[in-house]
Amino acid sequence: MPIRGSREGAYLDEQSLLAAGAPPPGGFAGSGRGSHLLGGQRAAAISTASTVVFIGGVVALFVFAPGAAAVRHTFFNPQQMKQAFLGDPSLGLFSVGKGLILNIEMFLIAEVLILFCALVIAVLRQLRNPVLFPFRMLAVVYTDVFRGVPLIIVIYGIGFGAPALYIRGISTQSDFVYGIAALVLSYSAYVAEVYRAGINSVHQSQVAAARSLGLSQWKSLRFVVLPQAVRTVIPPLLNDFISLQKDTALVSTLGAVIEANRAAQIDSSTLFVYSSYTVAAALFLCLTIPLARFTDRLIARDVGRRLAGGGAIR
Amino acid sequence: MRKAIVLVTFAVVGLGVTAVGSAASSAPRTKAPLVAAASTCSYAAVQPDLFKRGVLTVATDSPAYEPWFYNNTPSNGKGYESAVAYAVARQLGFSKAQVKWTVEPFDASFAPGPKRFDFDINEISYTSERASVVSFSVSYYAVQQALVAMKNSPIVKRHTPAELRTYVYGDQIGSTSLAFINTKLRPFHQPSVFNTLNDAKSALQDDRIQALVADTPTAQYISSSEIPKSVLVGQFPSTGEHYGLLFAKDDPLVACVNKALKTLTGDGTLAKLQKEYLGVYTSIPTIKP
Repeated sequence: MPIRGSREGAYLDEQSLLAAGAPPPGGFAGSGRGSHLLGGQRAAAISTASTVVFIGGVVALFVFAPGAAAVRHTFFNPQQMKQAFLGDPSLGLFSVGKGLILNIEMFLIAEVLILFCALVIAVLRQLRNPVLFPFRMLAVVYTDVFRGVPLIIVIYGIGFGAPALYIRGISTQSDFVYGIAALVLSYSAYVAEVYRAGINSVHQSQVAAARSLGLSQWKSLRFVVLPQAVRTVIPPLLNDFISLQKDTALVSTLGAVIEANRAAQIDSSTLFVYSSYTVAAALFLCLTIPLARFTDRLIARDVGRRLAGGGAIR
Repeated sequence: MRKAIVLVTFAVVGLGVTAVGSAASSAPRTKAPLVAAASTCSYAAVQPDLFKRGVLTVATDSPAYEPWFYNNTPSNGKGYESAVAYAVARQLGFSKAQVKWTVEPFDASFAPGPKRFDFDINEISYTSERASVVSFSVSYYAVQQALVAMKNSPIVKRHTPAELRTYVYGDQIGSTSLAFINTKLRPFHQPSVFNTLNDAKSALQDDRIQALVADTPTAQYISSSEIPKSVLVGQFPSTGEHYGLLFAKDDPLVACVNKALKTLTGDGTLAKLQKEYLGVYTSIPTIKP
């Protein structure tokens, strides 16, 4: 049992486990993924049987429940789903598919702004210069407030509050702009905290080493701390962005942004069916699942990197 | 350990299937359509059809808008829909104290599954698509759509069918007024769609939209009492639209409520309540979509 630094010790443990044929932690890396997961023929048979029974049970719930027909008619009506996806102007219905493009636009614009704003806030909070105390205070208050207030209230506050002020330039923006502003305000507070956790995870000795090489405080932050911090927090950042993708739907409360969820709501309340929501949910999954898989791959790659001896940059 | 997990999985799924089986066998709990019920609509005869025996459970959304309700308090008997609900209850033999109000959001009112009310009264328009999911009573109000704008808006003077297409509209989600905008006015600019009518009113006041469409009583109330400097531009010709009480699909109670509504129409009660709460609208100009 290695007794050196705990981190390194953990790595050695992992390596010895690998040698013993056990799956590495944090993922089933390598070619034997399937066999590791199932572990032998008998186990494979059992897992197949249990999967069949489980899925069969769930399907039975949907087929034999007393209200199954009504649920299918309301939630999974193929004709209604097609109508919802394409929209139908003659009935005043909007296309859920077209609405999703707005979600994607809002998400992409907001994401870039959030990454930038949050980093500024996180760095502000880290600065130890006494002159900058008010900014530090401001950063703390900002994250406390906007993490604490529900996003939908922020959206309402900006979208209905700003136009009521009648200020030239601010009060005449579109709901699209107000919505993105609210998303950026709210999510920057969360993401700033993620960045901060990343910055704190960089060991103090790194800063000491950088300073002893003659780098200024700012330069050691810029060239030594931040690159390591950001790399560490990429998975949680992506997690927040999966959440952001869904929350773009809340912007529709302002009225003028008829994104996928709002188009589905209009459809639903006009025709008294919920199939449009099923379409919207499926479309959102098409957005979020690829990002989730991408996050998994990044994590796996990071684990692989560390197992390969740490620090190797590919 | 693995064996235990497998066993637990089987047990859980087994329980699930059993639960489905027993749920299916207790299916008669759902109300079966009874046509014969129409013949006897006495207080005692309607009891088995009620959500809760001895109580008429009536639903509406919150906020409940004037002049359909007053002070967001359906139980005060004031406002057209509140008064209609109590009049129907009296016809069925219920006292005022036996009417219980419950909040049912519009979006939830048409969800599949058992309803938590006997009927919902919430300015819900009958359409054939909707009637395939829920049941409606006969009409308790014939609806016309009307246009509300701020007094200084160009729409007040210029509203030919071609000009009507050039404005920015807004409305509450799910309303037939919104469908009216999209299908009859067909504006070039996509209308704004709000969660509540109050949000739409707020947008009108802040010039985020130029006009909103609502049923005539609501439109008159907004322009006369709610938004200063707003005006009822005019009402559109009738499209045959009407409000109906909303029931669970094939609810046997519909027959008796229809009978009550026909009595109330016949003896002039509904007309009287309309005059009392909704006013008389002969002075409102008609505009063509």
